Amino acid sequence: MSANRSGFRLWPRHPFWQAVALAFVAYLIFDWGIPALRYVGIPSAPVPNSVLAEFMFIALIGILIYVSENDARWDEFKQPIQATLVDEDKRWVRNGFLLLVPLVVGLFTFQATRPKVQAPIQLRSIHPAPPASITFRGKTMQVAGLENPLRKEGNLADHVKEGRRVYYQNCLPCHGDRIDGQGHFGHGFSPTPLALDDPGNIAQLTESFVFWRIAKGGPGLPKEGTPWNSAMPVWEDFLTENEIWAVIIFLYDQSGFQPRRWEEATEGAPQGGE
Amino acid sequence: MSATGRRVGGSAGRVSLMALGILAFPASGFAQDAQRGKAIYEKWCLECHGETGEGDGAGAKFMLPPPRNFTQAVYQIRTTASGELPTDADLEQVVAEGMPGTAMPEWKSKLSDGERKDVIAYIKKFSTFFEGPAPKPLDFGKAPSSSAEGIAEGRKTYEKLECFKCHGMKGRGEGKSSPTLKDDLGFAIRAADLTENWTFNGGGTVEDIYRRMRTGLDGTPMPSFSDVLDAKIITEEQLWRVAQYVRSLSPEKTPEVKEVIRAHPMTGKLPSGPTDSAWAAVEPQWIPLVGQIIQKPRWFMPNVDGVWVQAAHDDQTLAVKLSWDDRSQSPNPVWDEWLARVMKGASDIDGPLPTKQGPDRFWLQFPKQIPGLDDMERPYFLGGSTRKPVYLWRWASSPDASEEGTGTGFGQFTARPGSADVTHAAVYDQGQWQLQFTRPLVPTDTTAAPAFTVGRPIPIAFFASDGSNGETELRGSVSAWYAIYLDVPTPPTVYVAPVVAVLLTAGLCFMVVWRAQQRGHSTRG
Ligand code: HEC
Ligand code: HEC
Repeated sequence: MSANRSGFRLWPRHPFWQAVALAFVAYLIFDWGIPALRYVGIPSAPVPNSVLAEFMFIALIGILIYVSENDARWDEFKQPIQATLVDEDKRWVRNGFLLLVPLVVGLFTFQATRPKVQAPIQLRSIHPAPPASITFRGKTMQVAGLENPLRKEGNLADHVKEGRRVYYQNCLPCHGDRIDGQGHFGHGFSPTPLALDDPGNIAQLTESFVFWRIAKGGPGLPKEGTPWNSAMPVWEDFLTENEIWAVIIFLYDQSGFQPRRWEEATEGAPQGGE
Repeated sequence: MSATGRRVGGSAGRVSLMALGILAFPASGFAQDAQRGKAIYEKWCLECHGETGEGDGAGAKFMLPPPRNFTQAVYQIRTTASGELPTDADLEQVVAEGMPGTAMPEWKSKLSDGERKDVIAYIKKFSTFFEGPAPKPLDFGKAPSSSAEGIAEGRKTYEKLECFKCHGMKGRGEGKSSPTLKDDLGFAIRAADLTENWTFNGGGTVEDIYRRMRTGLDGTPMPSFSDVLDAKIITEEQLWRVAQYVRSLSPEKTPEVKEVIRAHPMTGKLPSGPTDSAWAAVEPQWIPLVGQIIQKPRWFMPNVDGVWVQAAHDDQTLAVKLSWDDRSQSPNPVWDEWLARVMKGASDIDGPLPTKQGPDRFWLQFPKQIPGLDDMERPYFLGGSTRKPVYLWRWASSPDASEEGTGTGFGQFTARPGSADVTHAAVYDQGQWQLQFTRPLVPTDTTAAPAFTVGRPIPIAFFASDGSNGETELRGSVSAWYAIYLDVPTPPTVYVAPVVAVLLTAGLCFMVVWRAQQRGHSTRG
């Protein structure tokens, strides 16, 4: 084939192999590229298989449009397929496909129909929208626009120190010393404790959002957060308001992240604008 | 204490020397390591190991074993003889890998090689002992190849060396000395459960075990057995056999935690009790349990770290067997001293600590209403709520009794009056509880208790407590929600669809090829 004559090249010239390469690249982007975005600070998550199938379907349609866009390319694209179907010297390739394709289809059907033992899937939103206001030990607090009062009073280093103490006496067994959610009890819970050093978590949240999540814990989550599964305690039962603000300051200090500010968050996840 | 005083003076002196000496001693690399290590220590280690390295950081009373006191320079995980300091490589190893089974985390995923070396340079400064010559590692030789006879011989040597005094004949840590064990600083310490090698502080391989036996775990009651080699009481090979025997007490692989527990469909009679040999046909599944640290009073030093679960049904009745290791059959006065020692190291952050032993307990929890297949919602995993209650089977060891009923919050329990649906049988044997619960799939009153349906996942959760460890009230170990699935035998019809699919696809493929060949050969020539 002409593509091979010019030696090794990364991008094939033959439209059939171009189509194969494009499909492969699309798959890599959907399955690897999108989840990897979080490493450059863009929040993202693995693409579920059903969505992946949808994306691939759209990508394949695009590729088909490309290869059939002019007659010459379409003919060239079809040529290897046609050859495999018809040519005498490709008999073994053909027979191979004739055997392999039904087998693979059979296997997938078996996978799909065999009785499976699965716990009901627990889909959950990790950072659901907070309520507009909460009552903290009987006191009403507006979440929207709420700032960490400790940032304006006293000495920041003292707050970090106090927050450290609160963290090591309360949060450590789950969130761990590396603040990565892998404390020595973390493995016992499902969902496992939040990795506070992940750029997709507290770095994307305002301090008031973090306050709400700490104060109200797992049971305070809305339904989409599967509150019945979360082991996060209701910290208002254990900690004072200032202790919670201090531990928040400690978390940002220890992780090196900055809290999201309200100006940035107006049309972000927390319902700030309302 | 005087050692501490000297150490503080020494390090303060060094710091000021540093300040003066940056120009005068540019090559004092060691002190610079320690200086960089100080910042790392203060950020990541201080709240456990303490500002002055005395193991008394803010978090120290929230874990058992407590963090190491560095001022004593007594280390467990070494390659050096008992009583000697660890080598730098030993310290690097333990800081990189952490200590499984304790709160000491691994650091290789967080700190670079250089950072770990720096922080080690710093922790060595907490004691003056490291100023002497570097210690030499022992020569451990190589393990002989393992065999069934070798393991049997290892068992004999295990008895000869009296490992059972602490670790027990079954290796679960149930030895006679168990209730009396304390470390050199007086903290309560548990003889390792040799059937759970993934919790060994220095690693769970045969080589790791051999090294721990040769070096001892200094600062703990776990002795070194190098002297019995020197006295020629046993040979090195025999000691290797002990290591192989100890390794054989744990599963081949660290148990994988699966979310679904399968209840085996039994055609014969269901097991009549936990020691019934019929259970041998049912694979046990490991469910990890961790301290209840969610509601007051929290408990940070749990004893039960997991339970092996087996389940079987015969379309009429469900039987669940639970086996968990517990060094004590509680309450038992020989453990009074242990209880007091544990409480001395515990924090009373949630109110007064228990001073009396309770019974051992085990609870099984299901939703009061089993959720439908497309209903995600379950009751709150920790005891349910008034809005969504749970259904509980609760057992206690003393008096040996079980009850069933409804939970509307953790510890909020209403017994189901007059029901004899749930029966139990419990056996305590050499450091292990075995408990079987049995109940008809359909209870006598379906408004008071849920019916269990085969072929459908049913949420299930666990709670265990060890009374001799002070685990009364809500103190104990808990699990997340898991699911139990009453298996149905695989129907042969599942093979129909795939076969039809294969035939159809094959037919279609042949059609395509045939059509193409009819239309003529490819133009390539
Ligand atoms: C969450 C608390 C915690 C933190 C944080 C922690 N440790 Fe530890 N560490 C422990 C505990 C607990 C032990 C003792 C375990 C035992 O006795 O079995 C220990 C033991 C040690 C030991 C002794 C090992 C031996 O052979 O005896 C060293 C060395 C050590 N830690 C270094 C560090 C360093 C360095 C850091 C910081 C980078 C650190 N630790 C942070 C809890 C902690
Ligand atoms: C006097 C009591 C005592 C005797 C005798 C004893 N041990 Fe231990 N052993 C302990 C204690 C206590 C620990 C736990 C130390 C800790 O957790 O830091 C331990 C820990 C261990 C561990 C785990 C090591 C690790 O990395 O955490 C192994 C393996 C072990 N012992 C094997 C043995 C064997 C084999 C013998 C006999 C040759 C033996 N022990 C004799 C008290 C004892």
